[in-house]
Order: sequence, then structure tokens, then C-alpha cells
Amino acid sequence: MTKLRRLLLLLAVFAMIAAGCGSDGGDSDSASTDDGATDESAEDDAMAEDDDAMAEDDAMAEDDGEGHSGGAADVIAAFIYIGPPGDAGWTFAHDEGRKAAEAATGATTLFIENVPEGTEDFANAARDFIENEGANLIVGTSFGYMDDMETLAGEYPDVVFEHISGFKSNDSNFGNTFGRMYEPRYLSGMAAASVSETGQLGYVAAFPIPEVIRGINAFTLGARAVNPDATVEVNWTATWFDPPVEGNSAQALIDAGADVIAMHQDSTAAGEVAEAAGVRWVSYNSDMSAFAPEAFVTAPVWDWGPRYTALIEAVGDGSYTPGGYWGGLSDGVVDLAPLADDVPADVAGQIDDLKGQIVDGSFHPFAGPVNDQDGNEVIADGETPDDGSLLGMDYFVEGVIGSAAG
Amino acid sequence: MPDAASEDAVLLRGIWKRFPGVVANAGANLRVRRGTIHAVLGENGAGKSTLMNVLSGVYRPDEGDLVIDGRARRFSSPADAIAAGVGMVHQEFRLVPTFTVAENVVLGASPLRIDKRDISARVDALADQYGLAADPTRPVWQLSMGERQRVEILKALWRDARVLILDEPTAVLTPAEADELGGIIRRMADEGRSVIFISHKLDEVKAFCDEATVLRGGKTVAESLDVREIEPTRMAELMVGDAGASVAERPAPHPVGKPVLELRGVNALGSRGLPALIDADLTVNEGEIVGIAGVSGNGQRELADVVAGLTPTTSGSIVLAGVDVAGRPPRVRFKAGLAYIPEDRLGVGLAPALSVVDNAILRSYRAHRRGPLLAVERCKRFCEGLVEKFGVKVGNVDDRIGSLSGGNLQRLLLGRELSGEPRLVLAAQPTRGLDVQGVRAIQQLLVDQRDADTGVLLISEDLDELLTLADRLFVMSEGRLLAEFDPTTATRAEIGAAMAGADGAMR
Amino acid sequence: MKRPVLVRRDRVLPGSQAFAFVAGLVVALLFGAILLIASGHDPIEVYGRMWSSSFGSTNGLGRTFNRAVPLALAGLAVAIAGTMGLWNIGAEGQILAGALGAAWVARIGETWSSPALITAMLVAGTIAGLVWALGPALAKAGLGVNEIITTLMLNEVAVRVVRYLLNGAWKDPASLNFPVAPKLPEAARLPGLFGRAHLGVVIALVVIALVAVVVNRSAWGYELRIAGSSGPAAAYAGISLKRKILTVLLVSGAIAGLGGAIELTGNAERITEGISNGYGFAGIIVAALALMRPWAIPAVAVVFGAVQVGGSSIQTLGVPASVADILQALILAGALIAGVLMAYRVRWVSTRAQDPSGDGLEAVAGV
Repeated sequence: MTKLRRLLLLLAVFAMIAAGCGSDGGDSDSASTDDGATDESAEDDAMAEDDDAMAEDDAMAEDDGEGHSGGAADVIAAFIYIGPPGDAGWTFAHDEGRKAAEAATGATTLFIENVPEGTEDFANAARDFIENEGANLIVGTSFGYMDDMETLAGEYPDVVFEHISGFKSNDSNFGNTFGRMYEPRYLSGMAAASVSETGQLGYVAAFPIPEVIRGINAFTLGARAVNPDATVEVNWTATWFDPPVEGNSAQALIDAGADVIAMHQDSTAAGEVAEAAGVRWVSYNSDMSAFAPEAFVTAPVWDWGPRYTALIEAVGDGSYTPGGYWGGLSDGVVDLAPLADDVPADVAGQIDDLKGQIVDGSFHPFAGPVNDQDGNEVIADGETPDDGSLLGMDYFVEGVIGSAAG
Repeated sequence: MPDAASEDAVLLRGIWKRFPGVVANAGANLRVRRGTIHAVLGENGAGKSTLMNVLSGVYRPDEGDLVIDGRARRFSSPADAIAAGVGMVHQEFRLVPTFTVAENVVLGASPLRIDKRDISARVDALADQYGLAADPTRPVWQLSMGERQRVEILKALWRDARVLILDEPTAVLTPAEADELGGIIRRMADEGRSVIFISHKLDEVKAFCDEATVLRGGKTVAESLDVREIEPTRMAELMVGDAGASVAERPAPHPVGKPVLELRGVNALGSRGLPALIDADLTVNEGEIVGIAGVSGNGQRELADVVAGLTPTTSGSIVLAGVDVAGRPPRVRFKAGLAYIPEDRLGVGLAPALSVVDNAILRSYRAHRRGPLLAVERCKRFCEGLVEKFGVKVGNVDDRIGSLSGGNLQRLLLGRELSGEPRLVLAAQPTRGLDVQGVRAIQQLLVDQRDADTGVLLISEDLDELLTLADRLFVMSEGRLLAEFDPTTATRAEIGAAMAGADGAMR
Repeated sequence: MKRPVLVRRDRVLPGSQAFAFVAGLVVALLFGAILLIASGHDPIEVYGRMWSSSFGSTNGLGRTFNRAVPLALAGLAVAIAGTMGLWNIGAEGQILAGALGAAWVARIGETWSSPALITAMLVAGTIAGLVWALGPALAKAGLGVNEIITTLMLNEVAVRVVRYLLNGAWKDPASLNFPVAPKLPEAARLPGLFGRAHLGVVIALVVIALVAVVVNRSAWGYELRIAGSSGPAAAYAGISLKRKILTVLLVSGAIAGLGGAIELTGNAERITEGISNGYGFAGIIVAALALMRPWAIPAVAVVFGAVQVGGSSIQTLGVPASVADILQALILAGALIAGVLMAYRVRWVSTRAQDPSGDGLEAVAGV
């Protein structure tokens, strides 16, 4: 029975420590006291115009300004991240948004990083936040959290669950948020084609899901708006974050003749490879120009600050209504990073004009006519696709080299 | 050289070293003069390797004094021995295959900053000085065994070893390489270093060495013999023993029955893939003990394993109690009535990590089943029966077998094997390493088996044991079964000569 | 100058195992406390949370037990192969294969009653794990191919197979083309036990008890222990090593596969490629800490599970993931190092004397 004794002794050590510490008090001081970014809440009012499902935005817009509402300051918002905030990509952008929202609202924000999908870790973390830290807003930033959030929303009706990049919601406390990244993707395609000498562009892409396919298509349409002969070759990596794999993938595209590399990935590896090879790079998630200053052209980027601010304020004053939020350039949740100096002035001017037209609704990147890879018309002249067909997009447009099946 | 040799390089006095179940050194002595090549002779298990491991700091002796260059020493690790100028080349080389010769030589003893070219040049110079031809830039994996051995010697010289121990260095060498090695160590001795040469090949000892010390049973039986003046046959006699006090009286003869084991033209390969058993013809009859004598490593192990079915034959027939078992698995042989006492008691005959009970039922566990489970109580009773019947001293039958002494291990092993009422008992070195009492008990058990009309094939390095117990006696040399002797009339000298290969039958 | 050298003890001191583990743990926790203070956290609060989230409440205990189930089964899979001196590094892939097999049954058995469906899923998972170990088992038994390499490589293959299915045949039509499988039917949900613990805890305990009895009491297990203790002794006893290698690796894979099936029915909403979540590799540590003994595995797995659950929970207190990871690693390393120090002792030797052949070079391959 020495094994049993060993276990008991182990437990005893734990018990001793626990006995020494008493109950865990209400001290919820946390790592989230880092300095927030500057107040970006001014952009919030743009959001109110968007989605009909976003009634809370109107309420929030009234409450904007200097004085933090008491309601919002009482919100405890917990963010659950798939990766580390230090990735300079997806999670970094969310963490910047969290800091901005905290600074704008005075709410308490908490976070946990590196929480895997498909395991009980997400539910455990969410419950810890709710039961121990009193969180009343849980934000999950990965697609794979969707089922857990749906279940937990039923279990904790007084807590708001907002899911990023999913499509499920309920009618009380579970909603989803995403951004129309295809809008700045289109603009970045224009910039890429304008600095390409060969017209051969490369695209390092993670998984053949609609979100990624949509981005590739928008990028291609933008590129071909500048250079009708431009092609975009796609190389699938089957990973969101794996720097060596992303780098190899970029190198393969460069070897095949691409002189601009775009990407839907979360690391900076493709950019570093492009810099070393002397070709150009369109990054993603955030302005990554510091990682490859020579190669960098521009980047479609996330700015979650306004959206998170709005969420916290809606939870704070009880005006939260669930549903699907899909904000675009007009809300500021997505944007285009500054262009490199060598983007021709005429193209830069065009990009600026089109951005304005997208914001005011007079231009849609997927406005017909659009042909698929085989030359069949998929969007007729004069038509613009509805959100449903955008969200389920599973084909490549003309000019893309590669398979949309992965 | 005569002047330099006046002082002792190594002096070991009264070295004792015990391991669980075995006394490896029982008061061994060794004196090596500076500038000489000194042979340490002895059978396997005589305590040579243990004594050398004591000298090179691998083991700490339980008792005894160690004096190097006139200074008393206590080594607690090989590093201490190296610092005192004692280097050892083990049988299994300790080299990094992917490193070059030079890198291996300086590994662990290099200057802080390594300049590859400089190191290579220095290693090359050292190699030239002793005629150890070796390209310092070649990776070790490309080298032959003989070349690797030279790298090991270079390693010791690089660390300025003044006493160099070579543990059976010629076992891995071709005859030409062995002669070369003889020249190399002579040059080292002429320079004032001392070389300890472990071997049981007497012709090499005669050719290379100045003096010889003979160990038997962990004791020094002859110290610093002058090799030039002693005959190889005498050295062989010393190794295998004079009329020993440990041996029982010759038992009364017993009538012989029909054959239980017949080997005809059996050939087998050894672990190195070379022929190790050549054209063996042998018959063992009911009611007799057939002895196999010989210096170890001459095919005795393969002979035993071939009969037990642990080593495949390449040709020949083996008939065991009327059943042709060649090419059949071990179980068939045991069903036919074989009991096997292997040379490696722990590891082959017994599973060291398991309990006494588990080991006791190794042969019979299939009979102790109740459904898929083992009947624990029945196994225990069976084990306790063996323990009682064969006088095994054991604290608790659930203890690990490794906690038993050597004699008790062997009693349990023998008891287990004999409990199946065998037709043939095959015993390899059954009394090696045992105390007098244990030797007697085991020998008596073998004689009892013979008297019960069982055939016994006894392989031993203890010539006295064979001369006393065997009804017929063969000598094994170079994988062949040589001349049959009548133990009641053959002289020790005749047999020793055959073992030493001095009868011209080989080489 | 002196340097430390590890020297194997002639015999392990009696009672030292338990003491060493506790000592290792205490030292690790003390180091951890220093780390926490240095990073601006109150060690008492953090350790308190670790305790309360893993053992200190019914829900915490449930979490810990749920986490211990895949750890224990992976550990058992590694340990039973280890009994014979084999290393199954492929439990990770076998867990995935088991989850895949169970998910396949859930696809075809959507209309079945819950007990029938769950039973079929567990059986299918077990078989799938066994199938996943079949290649390495045959290669090792028949050709002597190193099982470490083959089992490890098949982990990757398992991930690719799941990915392939999720991108193709198994893609949920309702997922807007996202590569995810459909949600499992409600009937496939393993019943709860207490708090948040599910029935898998009981299943795992039964399997562990069964394996412990088989290894320690059956003729098959006896042959296994003989073969593990000494190959030549097994050959001498007339035991076929090849057959033993084959069966033990298959059983090992089957146990891991069952772990994958339990994880799917117990914790997951649907099959994902992340479902094995490193349990297969953690199982190696579990088996090592349990000294390859089945009876010791539940205790080790529960402690390991508590460390994981507690280590994750303290992040919600604001302890950064990096610090929490170091803390977990410290605790496991403390226990492991203590285990090593039980068998070895540290001795200081002079560095002046270099060591061409002794202890310091143990790791170097002989030529």
C-alpha cells in the first residue's frame, strides 16, 4: 500500500498549502491592468449604422464620450484566446482591442491565453471567470469555442457570451461577431498588383474555409482591377500558426515566380522569407511592417477596440441584444494599414476613393460580374451577393491558381 | 629498462569485492613493475575484470590496499584513476561513432578552445610516436575493430596513462592485428609505462608479456611468474586449478543405459556471426555424466544453447530422448525431458526483476492456471515445496529473486529444473562462483540425477570438478569437441595441454 | 574544482520513494512561490486557487477526474508496453483514432438508444486504437522495426486522417463550409457521475483494475513480466517473444483508443483534431511517475490532472500563461527528479581529472 500512501502524502502537501491560505477572497486584481491603448471609442458611433441585429449599438452610441458610464465600469469582461497575445497576429489584435476597450470604458478585463479547442479547457476557464472572478461578459476568439459557448450560454443566463468568427447565437445572451475583412483584402490586392512586376502574386493560406476563400477572392478581384492579367497562386498550410510551415509555403510560392506574397496566417514568417528573398509582402491581422520593412506593402488589419467597447457598454447598461454582428470598414473593425511609399500615387488615390465608396455603400468588392476559376459567371453583372452566399463561399474566382477544396 | 623496473607501478594487496550472491575478489594481489607487460590470467569468473575495475576506479573495493607509484590511493571514480595515471581499454569500446578519431581522443580532456587542425596534428604526432597508425580526421564509424581499439589506446595515452589496462584486447583482433598490438605495447613498456594485459590465450601471453599473475576463484593463485620460464601447460593448470578442496569424492560408478542425447555433425554460429560450434558429434547415455572441459569462449556456450534450442543450428541433427528436436523451439525440448542449467543464471535461467515465486514457476506455470489466471496459492505452494526440498534459503517467496545469494539462486534453479523429472540434465558452469557448501550441494544433486538413470551433460571450467564427477570427458577448443578422455586415468597435464591448444590440433 | 556526477545507488533506500516524491513536490512549490513573488503574484492566493479549482470543490474534483481519465488511460497504454520494455509513443494518435472510431459509430447510430450507442462507440474506439497500433506491432514483432519511430509517425497520420474527413466526407452541412464535423447526438453523451465528472471515471478505473489483475495475476501477464524482465529468460521458458510484442502493443493501442472514445463521448461536442490534446505524450510522464505499474496510475493521473486543471485555473487570476506553464513544469519536474534521485546519488568529483570511460560518458553510445 505504499502507492496509496504516496498519494495521501501528495494530497497532504496540497492540503497544507490550502490550509495556509484560507478562502480565495474577492481580490480580482489581474494582469489586465497593463496600460490600455489610447481611447479609440470615438470610432464607435460609426458602428451604429450597420446591422439591424445590433440595436445595442444605438444605445451605446448615446453613451459615448468622456465619462465612463457606471454600468460599463462595473462590467467584468473575460477574453479567452486561442493563441498568445505575443503572436503579433490574431490574438495580438484581440488583446489590443481588449486594452482599448478597458481604457475606454473603465471596465475590468481579464484574459487567458493558449486555450485549445475541442477540450474542456474552454468551459473550465469560462466557469472560473464567471464563478470566481464574477465575469459577466465572456468573449471567445476562436471558431472552435462555438459549441461550448452555446452550452454555457444556456447554463449562465446572466452572462453574455460573444463569439468571434462563428455563426451561432441565441435570443438572449449569446451572439457572434466578425468583420468584413474582404473589404480591406480587396484594397490590399490593388496595392499588391501595383508593386508587382510579373503580375504573379502568391497567397499563403491556412484552411479552405469560407472566410479564407472569401479573402483570397477579394484580394484577387482587387489585384485584377489594377492589372487584369494578374494571377494569385494559393498554397495551403493547414495551420493557423506554424512559422516554419508558413515560411516554407511562402518560399515555394516565391520559387514558383510570385513577387508579392499575401497571407491568411497568424505569424510573420512569410514576411521574413519575402524580405530575405527580396520580394514584397502583404501582411494580415496587424500592421507588421516592423518585421519586414523592405518587403511590406500594406495589410488588411483588425481593430477590435471599438467593437469590444460597444459590447462592454451594452452589457453594462443592459441593452445587449444577441445576434450576428458583421462589421466592415464603415465600423472601423477592419481597416487597411498604411501603404508602402512605392505604391504608385494613382493607385493609392484609387484605393482611397474605393475605401470611401465601400464605407458609404456605393461600392461592393464582390459586385458582379464575377467569374469563377473555370470562367463561369457566378455573380451576374449589376448584382451584389447577399451575406448568406458570402458566408458560405466555396469557390475561387477567375485569376486564382489552386483548389478551393484544399 | 632494468633500472626503471626496480619500482612497482601498481601494487594491490588483499582486495575483496562482493556483489549480491557472488564474491568476485577474495583477497586478490597484484604487483606490476614499471616498464613491463604484465599478464593477468584466469577463467571467466576468476575475478580478473573485477580486479581491473577496482584498479581503474570503476568499483571501490570492500577491503584491500591500492598503491600506485608508491602512493596509497583510494579511487572513487574512473576520473580519480585517470588522474593517478591509470587508464583502461574496456572490451566494449566507448567511442562516439560520428566523431572523428581526434575528437574521440580529446573528448572530455580537451583544451577549452578547440582548434580542429591543431588537435588533429597533435593526435597524429602521438599516434606516430607509438606506431598507432590512425587517420585523426576519419569518423570512428568507418574504422575496423582493431583501429577503434587503437583509438581507445590513444585516448589513454592522451591522458598520459602510465599504467594501461587492456581487457582481453585480442578478442576483437585478427592474428596479424594482434601481433601489431604486441609491438605497440612493447614500445610503450620500453618507454617506462606499464601494461596490464588480460587474456586467457596462453600463446599470446607467452609472446607478448614479461610476467603473469594467475587468478582463480577471486584469489591470486600465482603472482608475478616469469613468463619466459613457465610452460603454457603449467599456466593452464594454474588457471583451472590443482586438486581442489572444494570437490567431493568421486562417486561410485553407475550402470549406463541407452542414449538420451545424440548430436551428429552439428554446426552453429556464435553471437558475432562466425562459426562457433563445428561438426559436433556427441552422445550422452542414461546414467552417466559427460563432462566438457575447455577454456571459456571455445564454443561451450553455443553447445549448450544449441541443445536447449536457444541458438539455431546451421546443420546437423539433435535427438533428445528419441525425439528429433533440431529446429524445434525450446518448449519441445523441455517436453521431451530436458532440464537446462544455463551459464547465466540471472538473465537466462531466472528473471532478475521478478519474485522468487514467479521464477520458481517459470517451467510449470502453464500447469498452475485456473482459467486465464494463475492460481496464486498453488504457485506459492509449489515454490515453497521447491524451497524446502532443495534447501533454498529465502526470506519471503514474494521477494525479488535478486535478493538471494548465488548458491541459493542455483539451488532454486536446479530444483525447478529437476522437479520435472528430466531425462537429460544439461548444466553449464553450475558451480561457478559458489561457496564450498554450495558447490557440494549442486554436485551432489547432479550425481543423484545420474544415479536415477538420467543423462547429465556437464560443461565446466573447473577441471577438478570434471575429473571427479564425469564418467567421460571431452575438451572443447576453437568450437570443436576434441579427444575423449577417461577421467579416471587422464592426467591434468594431458588435459591442460589439449585446452591450451598445445597438442597441435589447432592454429 | 569539483563537478557533480550522478552515481547509481547500489540499493534504493526503503521508504524513500514516497518521501522523495513529497520532497520533490515541496521543493517545486517553493521554487514556484519564488517565481510567483518575482512576477508580482501572491503565492498563497495562487496555490489556494490551484487547490480549490482542482480538489477543493465538487466541481473542481469533477474537472480533475475528467482530466485524469485520458491521462490515466494514456499512461496505462504506455505502462503496459513498458512492462515489456517497449515504448508506445503513439498513444496520441491512438487516442485520435479511438475518437474517430467512436465518432464514426455516432454517425451511423444516430437513432440508437443511448446505452447501445455509447457502448458501441466505446467498443469502436477500442478497436480503432488497436488498429492504429497494428502496423507498428507487426513491424516490431516481425521485422524488429523500432516501435518508437513507427508509433510516433502514426500520430501525424491520425491528425491528417481527421483533417481529411473534416474537410470532406464528414463536414457538417450546417457549418457554412467550415471544416467541422456535425455535433454528436444527445444520445452519445456519457452520463454524469457527480458534479461535472462523467462515467468515464468509472470505466477508466475498471479498465485499470482489469489490466492490473491481468498483468499481475494472469498467465498472460506473467509471460509479459518474464519477457520484460529478460528476453533470454522468456525464450528459455518457451515464451514466444514475437507474439508477446504483437499482443502487448495491440492492447496498448486499444487502451489508448478507448481513452479517445471516452474523451469524445464524455467531454467533446464533436470530433476535432485537437481532441487528443497532448494526452498521449503526458501519458509517458504518467507511466514514468507510476514506475510502469498499473496500480499506481490512477493516483499519478489524478495529481497530474489536478496540476493541469489548477495550472489553467490560476490564469484566470491573472497569472500569465508562461508563469503558469513554468509552475506546472516545475511540479512535474520536481516529482521526476525526485524519482531519479531515488535511484542515483550526486557525488562531487574533481574536474582536474578527466574521465574518458566512466560515469560521465554513460550517454555515449558504445561502438
